[in-house]
Amino acid sequence: MQLILQLVLDGIVHGCALGLIAMTFSYIYVTTGIFHVAHAGILTLGGYLAWYFTGVGVPFPVAVAIAVAGSAAVGVLIQKGVYEPLMKRRSTPLVQLIASIGIVAVIQNLLAIVFSPNVLQFEMLPWRKSSLHLGSLDISYPQLLTVIVSLVAALGLLLFSSRTALGRRARAVASNRSFAEIARLRPYDVYVYVVAIGAGLVAIPGIFLGVDQALQPYSSLGLLLTAVIAMIAGGVGSLPGAFLVALVLGVLQNLVLAMVPGRWSQALTFAIFITFILMRPTGLFRIRMQRAS
Amino acid sequence: MTLTVKNIGSGYGDRGIIDEISFTVPSGKIMALFGHNGAGKSTTLRAILGLLPLSQGSISLDDQRIDQLSVSDRIEKGLRLLPEGRGVFPDLTVAENLSVVAAANSKKGVDGTAGTTIEKVYSLFPVLAEKRNLLAGNMSGGQQQMLAFGLAILGSPRCVLLEEPSVGLQPDLVEELFGYFRVICREHDMSAILIEHRITSALKIVDDVLILNNGRMVYHDNVEATRNHDIWQYF
Repeated sequence: MQLILQLVLDGIVHGCALGLIAMTFSYIYVTTGIFHVAHAGILTLGGYLAWYFTGVGVPFPVAVAIAVAGSAAVGVLIQKGVYEPLMKRRSTPLVQLIASIGIVAVIQNLLAIVFSPNVLQFEMLPWRKSSLHLGSLDISYPQLLTVIVSLVAALGLLLFSSRTALGRRARAVASNRSFAEIARLRPYDVYVYVVAIGAGLVAIPGIFLGVDQALQPYSSLGLLLTAVIAMIAGGVGSLPGAFLVALVLGVLQNLVLAMVPGRWSQALTFAIFITFILMRPTGLFRIRMQRAS
Repeated sequence: MTLTVKNIGSGYGDRGIIDEISFTVPSGKIMALFGHNGAGKSTTLRAILGLLPLSQGSISLDDQRIDQLSVSDRIEKGLRLLPEGRGVFPDLTVAENLSVVAAANSKKGVDGTAGTTIEKVYSLFPVLAEKRNLLAGNMSGGQQQMLAFGLAILGSPRCVLLEEPSVGLQPDLVEELFGYFRVICREHDMSAILIEHRITSALKIVDDVLILNNGRMVYHDNVEATRNHDIWQYF
């Protein structure tokens, strides 16, 4: 029983990180219409930036802030340098997807060249191996931080989307892109903000998962795949839906470890997803998206 | 703001839809654009806004050429379009629809006023005030059209292009709406083009009438002359 509870706790930690990845991916996809696979590259980049700056003596919280800002800046570069020209040339979604996959490959390989393809750990943070004891259960400080920071960031994104003028503008663009242009909402400016916000926030799980486990240049596509499943199963366009389903998937992926070997975890996730989507193709939370062509 | 269209042609790809269209809509005036389905009315509005490229001719606002500008730059100059059927944000509430468009169009008009405010839209359509927290996409077609009209006149546009604004609205409301529209055009020196199938209602507020047939102008005169003319022969 203790093992099960520990796996649930670990699953909640993993699920919170996945939830933020799923939410930010969904936010970018619904607003821009781009299947932003490069999100996986930025997720990894955030971890490496924090590792580098912490390694050169920058205090960890400051290194996190630099990594978030740096990731947001890379997001802006991707939007302005790749996606925007493609959108303005009316490229098909398939072409945009291929471009995005290309960006992941570039980021991952650059990280491997600069930092080596080997596993890196935040050895400079002595507290990373310390734990908090909750009765018979253990939660490490990096895990605790993953949960807290991911929840705060997710809540912040929800509030930003619903309570701020820019958040409403982004939802308007997602709701009716062609009318947004006519109504002077400047969709291309909105895309830049949205991709920057999504990129900045996705650096957070990249950093804290890296602190908790390790950094590896080619490890993030699997996480993104699970996050995409969460987005679809949660209902495309529903940010809370994406987070909740990611949380459940995180717990499930950990729970199955008690029953089957770890390599089956991903397969089981997909089996659950396929079964779920066959029964409820619109996802858990139905959001009517009326995207302009 | 005076809109001048000179000898324009436009269409979709290589397929020309309109040809040799010329007219002027002076500040404060409204021009009706009539014609049967497929005559080229919507194509004309889309070409003016820059959503379709010109094959020939020129478009000016107060003698400044705008036909080389992007859509967003033309909108920046004061052009506004009420598109048929898709002029709202369905996933936002009524209040959010109005607030995002008001925020994006907060520039004061030529008369120095803020123009049509959100409160004015609510007073014009009280049902929108009642349903301000409802998603626009969950309202009836008529209510969505009220909102779309409200969004089109919000702020201080200089030249408004209206595409079938009365669709789904009750006749008495159409009269009221058109009456208000005429007043704000006069007050804010706003020019307008009105595509409307309710010809009798439209003729009460417009100054000029242009009729298209197969993409070409077949009639263009002021409204007084039009009232004494058998325009039905052109449909």
